[in-house]
Parts: sequence; structure tokens; C-alpha cells
Amino acid sequence: MRAARILGAAAVLAAAFASAAPAADAGRGRALAEERHCITCHGADGRSSTPEIPSLAGMPDQVVVLQMIIMREGLRVVPPMMEFAKGLTDSQIEDLGAYFASLPPGPPDDRGPRDPAKMQAGAALAERLRCGVCHLPDYRGREQMPRLAGQREDYLLHAMRQYRDNRRTGTDTQMNAVLYGLSDADLAALAHYMAQQ
Amino acid sequence: MFRITATLGLAAALALPSLAMAQQAPAPAWAQGRPASMANSTLAPVPPKLTVTPPDQVPVNRIRLPEGFKAELWAHGMPGARMMALGSNGTVFVGTRTIGRVYAVTDQGGQRQVRIIAQGLKQPNGVAFRDGALYVVAINQVLRYDNIESKLDNPGTPVDLTSAFALPTEEHHGWKFTTFGPDGKLYMQVGAPCNICEIDENRHALLVRFNPDGSGREIVARGVRNSVGMAHHPQTGQLWFTSNGRDWAGEDEPEDILGVVQRMGEHFGFPYCHAGTMQDPDIKGGNCSEYSPPALKLGPHVAALGMRFYTGSMFPAEYRNNIFIARHGSWNRTQRSGYDVVRVSFDAQGRPQMQPFMTGLLEGNNFYGRPTDVQQLPDGSLLVSDEQSGAIYRITYQR
Repeated sequence: MRAARILGAAAVLAAAFASAAPAADAGRGRALAEERHCITCHGADGRSSTPEIPSLAGMPDQVVVLQMIIMREGLRVVPPMMEFAKGLTDSQIEDLGAYFASLPPGPPDDRGPRDPAKMQAGAALAERLRCGVCHLPDYRGREQMPRLAGQREDYLLHAMRQYRDNRRTGTDTQMNAVLYGLSDADLAALAHYMAQQ
Repeated sequence: MFRITATLGLAAALALPSLAMAQQAPAPAWAQGRPASMANSTLAPVPPKLTVTPPDQVPVNRIRLPEGFKAELWAHGMPGARMMALGSNGTVFVGTRTIGRVYAVTDQGGQRQVRIIAQGLKQPNGVAFRDGALYVVAINQVLRYDNIESKLDNPGTPVDLTSAFALPTEEHHGWKFTTFGPDGKLYMQVGAPCNICEIDENRHALLVRFNPDGSGREIVARGVRNSVGMAHHPQTGQLWFTSNGRDWAGEDEPEDILGVVQRMGEHFGFPYCHAGTMQDPDIKGGNCSEYSPPALKLGPHVAALGMRFYTGSMFPAEYRNNIFIARHGSWNRTQRSGYDVVRVSFDAQGRPQMQPFMTGLLEGNNFYGRPTDVQQLPDGSLLVSDEQSGAIYRITYQR
């Protein structure tokens, strides 16, 4: 019941900025992703099999767009990505966002088995930190907030460590604040829980 | 520095990790001041749009104005366009936040040329111009570009005034609005580093002024949560400012305010009292009777940002010395509000009153643009920046 209400509200939010027909084109994005070899690291189907590299399949398009822009502008420094982001136009980046958003999400092939203790700890933390308020109760993400469900566990841990230790910010500092003061074990439990969704 | 409390004090914790780590973890920013009854609210800040909006998708045709006024699309293709400053040769400089750029717009025979003159900065929202130089204020960074209008194609390395200004480093409300006063000093705000928290009253929630070289810091006003717009009255020289009210304390309160500084250092109430009349539900300690009230309330959660006095002769005479205020638009409210430009006029007793001016960008609960700043051009027309479309509109009047 509660989940349904939140999903309903999120749909309203997503529709709140009404614009003309989207210029982004998933087909062009696919061609560009192949040309730029995105799939080498992020996976042929958008599901990464590379440690600490995120899956992008089913990611909200704005997540990909905003992160690519701030990497292109040198505001978020990810050394392996800088070369790929360089020189991309805004509309190319929007095409990439549309392409990855169009791919069916799912866990990577190498996802390990569930650890009941970690699942329990992760669930409790997710409830306490209210991850589902922004990332939605099924953790599929929305707008600038990424999909967490089925993401690579090692990437989630890597990203959360960076936020916690103030080595990364998003388009704002919300995640730095949310993760402030958590232990490595906390982050590992959260990463496991989200990866197993 | 800060008084760290159990529930509040996020920024203190971020700024002092070694000290704060030993203490109880603070509430994250999205939870600061949020009552348990709203813990699952899905209201969240609107994501920035950082890609170019093609001109045919800029919603200029939606804009509604009083009779005789007309809006045109003056410049576009500037993702994140926010605060504006006018150069003495007519260049309009435009600051941004998330995309880290500063733009320069020049008019070439009726066509506008847009250049990116700085990039890779951390939220360079503040832009001001004086004696041929552009001042750019980012988070804990102040840069001066001398003779900028003669070298827009190659601005070169700016003079770095960062250490002289020594601004706080917090990112939360750490972006700046900046403007020169008639006294030749550079005015800016230092916002509260939180939604609601106790602060050092000599360090945060301030309006401050400096000599242009960063020396001579003086506190102009205290207890101002976050002002992203200020201007000096063209006749009295007094500093008027907008300030944004706190979140999560109600759909309809507190309201954003328009304030006027009557004496140096006067206190406007944050964090104890909002908009002159509302005691904070979380932070106790000061009574509203101790603080200066606002000149005018501007609406709840509307995000009243850039403001300027109108001194031109193009608009009807009754607009002279009125204030235009860009209301960026709400996020912490179920029914959106703002997303417009309002006019503040003054009655015979000098009391300010607010009325709609530029509307049409909010329909029902859908918004089409986010007005962020206003800037008068020498011909008396008025520019309005729209951060959502990365565009600037020009408003003219013909009787």
C-alpha cells in the first residue's frame, strides 16, 4: 500500500517537467556505445562483468546524462572515463542515456549467492537510511538517482566508499550526507542487499 | 565553530570529520528538520538540466506578461544559466552551478553570440562586474578577469583572490550571489550550511561585504538563511535582499522573504525565527521579537532568487524603482509554486506589495521553466534567465 502510494507520487514527479518530444534516440545511442566501446567495460547488454564498473542497463536516462556531463566537464574525475567522455556533444550524451535506459536491467552473470546475515543487516540499514524514498522502494531509481537493484556489488561498495569519504559528489551532496559515519561493514551489507534485489 | 547536536550539524560533520567521527552521526541533509510524519515524503530537489535545449523547445511562447509587455528569446544554448552581470560594453556574464561554467553573451548586430569563458569551476554562481573586470565567485573561490570584455575569446588566467576572501568551504548553500554596492564594495551571502541547524553567527547565514581585493570583510546582516539575490536601492542606497526559508516545516510556511538592511549587522532571525513571525519547530533559543522582520513575505518554498530594482525608462513610469524578483520554483511543496517573476511596488507609505509579472511557466503541477535572475539592459528592457532551458528572455514594453 505504502509502496504503491510512493510510486504514484514518483510518477507525478517524473512527469512534472513537461517538455516537447524527447530528442534523445536510443538507436543512435546504441551505435555510439558500440563505436566508443562502452560495452567493453559496461557489458554487451549493459550488465557489467568488470569489477567496480557499473551496469547501466535500465539506468534512469538522467543518471547517465548528468554523470557523463560532469565527467566531460572535468567536475567528476574518473580516469578511465575521461577519454570516452571527451568531445561528446550534449545530444550524443542524451542518446547514450536513452540507449542504456532502454536495456532490460538485470544482475551480472557472476553475481554470487545471498548471504543471509548481510541481507538482514543491509535491509535494516536501507530502512533506517530510507534509501527507498529517493531510489524508490524497489530501488530502480528515478531522475538523477541511480538504479541500485541488481547493480554490481563491488561497484556499489566502491561508489559508497567514495561518497562516505568525500572523494566524490553527485549533482549535489545528498549521498555524502546519507553515508556519513557508516563503517566498511555497513557499506558492504548495503551493497550486498542492493545487489541482490 | 559549530555546535554539533545529535540531530543537526551535517556540515560541521563534513567539515571536521576527525572530530565529528567520534560523535554521534548527524542526520543527513534530506532528513534535517524533517518531522517523522514526513519521513516517507517523496518530495525531492528538482534535478538540474545540463544539456542544451534547442531554441524551438524553449518555452518563450508560454510566457504571459501584463498588457503592453512582450517576451522574446534573447539568448540560448547555455545549460544551467543562472545569475547575470552586465559589463560596461554590454556583455552579459552568466554564472551557473552544477555545470561549472561561466558564459558571456554579446550582441552582434541583433544576434547574440554565446561563449564559455570559464569552466570546470565548483558552482560559479556569483558574477559581478566593475572597472572592466569580471569577478567570479564559486564555492570557496574568487577569481578576477581583468579587461575581460576585450578578450572574451581568450580570457587567459584570472587573478586568484581565493585566499584573500577566505570563504567557508561547505558546499551546502555554499554557492554565492555577488554584486557591487554603490560604495564600491563586493557584497555576497554566506548561506547556512544546512536546511536547519545551529550556526556560528559570525561565520554562516550572513550577508557580508569586502573590498574588491578581499580585504576588509564586514558583516552586513546576520541570521539570513540563504540569500541568492540582492540589490541596493537606487535612491536610498540601502541593501535589499531575498532569502529562502527552511524546508520540511509545512506546505505553507515559512515563506521566503524580501528584506532590507537598516543598520549594519542586524539580525533577521535564522535559525530561531523565520520570516519575522514563525518560531522554528526544532531550534529553540531566540524569540521572534528579538529579530528584524522582513519587508515582505514572498511565498512558501518559492525559492525567491535574483532581484533588481528597475531604473529604466522603457517600462511605464510606475515601474520606476520597483523590484523584479525571479522565483525559481518550489520542490518542498506538494502543489508547486513560484516558477515566475514577480513585481514589488511601493504604496504611498512606502510599503512594498507583490504582484505577478511574468507567468505561464507553471501549469497545474507541471513546470516549463525556472526563472533564476533578472537584469536590466541599458535600453530599459529586462532580461530573465531560465536555468531549466539554459536561456535568457528579454522583456520589452511598447504602449
